[in-house]
Amino acid sequence: MTLIKSFTAALLLSTITSTAIAQDYFISDAKLVTNTSQGTVEKADVIIRNGQIAQIGTDLVAPANAEMIKADGRWVTPGLIAPYSRLGLMDIGGEDVTNDTSSGDSKTSVSELASDSYNPKSVFIANTRRLGVTHAVISPSAAGDSIFGGTGAVVNLTGEYDSVEKSASFVFVQLGEGGTRRAGGSRAAALQQLRAALDDAGAYPSRFKGPEDGDALSRQDASALFKAARGQMPLMIAANRGIDMLNIIKLKKDYSSLDIIILGAAEGWKVADELAAANIKVMVDPHDNLPSSFDSVEARLDNVVLLDKAGVDYVITNASALGIQRPATLAQHAGNAVGNGLEWDKAFAAITLTPAKWFGLKGGSIAKGSAATLVVWDGDPLDVTSAPTDMLIDGERQSLKSRQTALRDRYNPTTDDTRPHKYR
Amino acid sequence: MIKTLRMTRLTSKLLVGATSLALLAACGDKTETKTEDMSDKGPAFASTYSPQPSETTLITNARIIDGTGQEIAEGSVLITDGKITAIGADISGDAALTIDAGGKYVTPGIIDIHSHLGNYPTPSVSAHGDGNEVTSPVTSEVYAEHGVWPQDPGFDEALQGGVTTLHILPGSANLFGGRGVTLRNISARTVQEMKFPDAPYTLKMACGENPKRVYGNKGGPGSRMGNVAGYRKNWIKAQDYKKKRDKGGDGFKRDLQLETLADVLDGKILIQMHCYRADEMVQILDIAKEFDYKVTTFHHAVESYKIADILKENDTCSAMWADWYGFKMESYDGILENVPFVHAAGACAMIHSDDEKGIQRLNQEVAKTWAHGNRAGLNISKAEAWKWLSTNPAKALGILDETGTLEVGKRADVVMWSADPFTTYARPEKVFLDGALLFDTESGLKPKSDFRLGYGE
Repeated sequence: MTLIKSFTAALLLSTITSTAIAQDYFISDAKLVTNTSQGTVEKADVIIRNGQIAQIGTDLVAPANAEMIKADGRWVTPGLIAPYSRLGLMDIGGEDVTNDTSSGDSKTSVSELASDSYNPKSVFIANTRRLGVTHAVISPSAAGDSIFGGTGAVVNLTGEYDSVEKSASFVFVQLGEGGTRRAGGSRAAALQQLRAALDDAGAYPSRFKGPEDGDALSRQDASALFKAARGQMPLMIAANRGIDMLNIIKLKKDYSSLDIIILGAAEGWKVADELAAANIKVMVDPHDNLPSSFDSVEARLDNVVLLDKAGVDYVITNASALGIQRPATLAQHAGNAVGNGLEWDKAFAAITLTPAKWFGLKGGSIAKGSAATLVVWDGDPLDVTSAPTDMLIDGERQSLKSRQTALRDRYNPTTDDTRPHKYR
Repeated sequence: MIKTLRMTRLTSKLLVGATSLALLAACGDKTETKTEDMSDKGPAFASTYSPQPSETTLITNARIIDGTGQEIAEGSVLITDGKITAIGADISGDAALTIDAGGKYVTPGIIDIHSHLGNYPTPSVSAHGDGNEVTSPVTSEVYAEHGVWPQDPGFDEALQGGVTTLHILPGSANLFGGRGVTLRNISARTVQEMKFPDAPYTLKMACGENPKRVYGNKGGPGSRMGNVAGYRKNWIKAQDYKKKRDKGGDGFKRDLQLETLADVLDGKILIQMHCYRADEMVQILDIAKEFDYKVTTFHHAVESYKIADILKENDTCSAMWADWYGFKMESYDGILENVPFVHAAGACAMIHSDDEKGIQRLNQEVAKTWAHGNRAGLNISKAEAWKWLSTNPAKALGILDETGTLEVGKRADVVMWSADPFTTYARPEKVFLDGALLFDTESGLKPKSDFRLGYGE
């Protein structure tokens, strides 16, 4: 009886939520970055109805019921999309029990879903959202003796329990020095593990009479690789060395339907023409300019500029160092690509429109009919001195408060509050 | 200010030593000079730094941020013999080289007080891990400089980010990690050629999670309690050692480990301490009072904003990131306004990198945290915020009378920027070290480490 009651109540509640009329918005006088052929429109007004962009123009009349957001000439852009992160997969990186980014002792690999580990209430979500990031690609890491990290997801940063947008979005593979170690000690072993796994997935399910019948993967992992092996979702492969990327290109000749994204590509500029010709996508970190390992001795600051010139399809990440925990610095990374010679529009698309396309997200641009996922900024979004003032995700206003702003407000030296800190 | 005083005291002490030696030599008193043999040889691992040749240079038509909190909208800087000889709105004079800055920003060279360039160089192979002597929680006998590889490509990239002086520390595994060293960012075959002449040594110490994690299963410390006991036990030993050293005589036996600690007690070595949590920093300040030494700077200091008033009272600086936090429990409470909040409370604040990539764009890190601070209600000017990049690090390293600001008489460590350095888009265009142009986008002049030869060609 009690069960039935609460079930009914839940049903009622969900009905109320879904039938609630979305608030309409009117954004006036924006410097609007559309990421469409319209480019950047000055003095733009935007009408948002039912969570979607209903109209863009100048001197539009605000609908009577709409909430006003006066941009006063400030920048309004699509929300930023972190193309590679571990957001929500850990609370404290250094505390194993709170860190779900990898599972060295598990029996599974490809079939592990990052979305199963995702915690939308992690404080990093709101801390990152308030700096302009509306969506993130979350990736598990390789561990143990497998070059496969698992299957990554795409999430929005509303921080709601239902914020996984796409659970199985790509499969993560570690090559280069890291993958080599996992595969047993050589590049040859790592590549062979990858080929064998692709063959297992290609021959799934016929090859599997028993659960362990694969050459490299168990039945459940081969099943999980099924789509990526057929190009129905991307295979994200971490690699930095020029020759490793050429070997990935060779792999694509043998497995032609693969949709390959190379993460890192520090030496990408050396093989840029080949990457472009093979239609392989890359995710680059524009701060990556040191020979951090023997995988990336020829890393250089203008890598992304050279990849762009060669016509490679790329996105910008802040994957290096602590960046994976701080997608908040994504805009700074794109800004530095501009500082090193990339056109602003291209750098901005590389953290919005391009990742949206790659991962099948509806955001990334502002056009009539598109989802109202946008950010109002107090300055150029790629400048380190700028920050968001307003944000909508799918037409819903987002809080720009977080645990960090709460700490900030409690200890702000300009406060008049004289109560003990714990009472503020 | 106290650090500057200390430096002056130290300098005068050295001067006194030299004078008395000269007097003794003049008197021909051989028995006395015998005990001074060590001083005759000079300090071990002495600096052999010498500036690159420079021309008399006049930079005109510049927007100058001088590091003292002043901004000159349109001014000039005159560099003679590697020193700043004039600065202001109405400077004229003959110079071999005149550079029209065309309204661009000119600032002091950046100083990074927390770097592991050279002792954790790239490529970061295991053979390059020379930054932590992870064999005992007390290793005050080791010197960071003995693990510094001058061919780290990171030095060259840091120069291109405007960094002219940097402080290399041992890592934070140990309670007493060892001596840090202040370096000039110059092309060098040996670390001695990089050492900042007469800069005081520093002692790296560490609070919190690292020592107890590293030594928890290796005989301790295994808790913060053990950390504190470890500091105190060793300061007691150091006091005893210092007494014996002060007394001198045949019974005195030199001990490298205690020598460093006794030099701290003598005010010759500046404490640079890795510490994240507010409560822990204040406990450390109490230990400093107990043993009568000074904590010059807390590094990382992610929670300094919570105790900025206490840090001000103790004249202890904080070297901080703009936005690193959350990677370990003790960094969980990091906020984006830490640096400006500490500054606003009147305490000494500065940026630091602890990172071979971050060191290349410290100006952006300052711009970022400066903007967040002002957004939170502060009203700090760019010229004031610049102190976080050069002035306060120089103060905390005891070299403010030599560098850190553009003032007459100081080393001409100068950066000319392509745009406002408080933006993402600005890049150093010219970097001068002691008046010598070492990086120049116009001519393509830049250093290249031996390691990079044969690659990328």
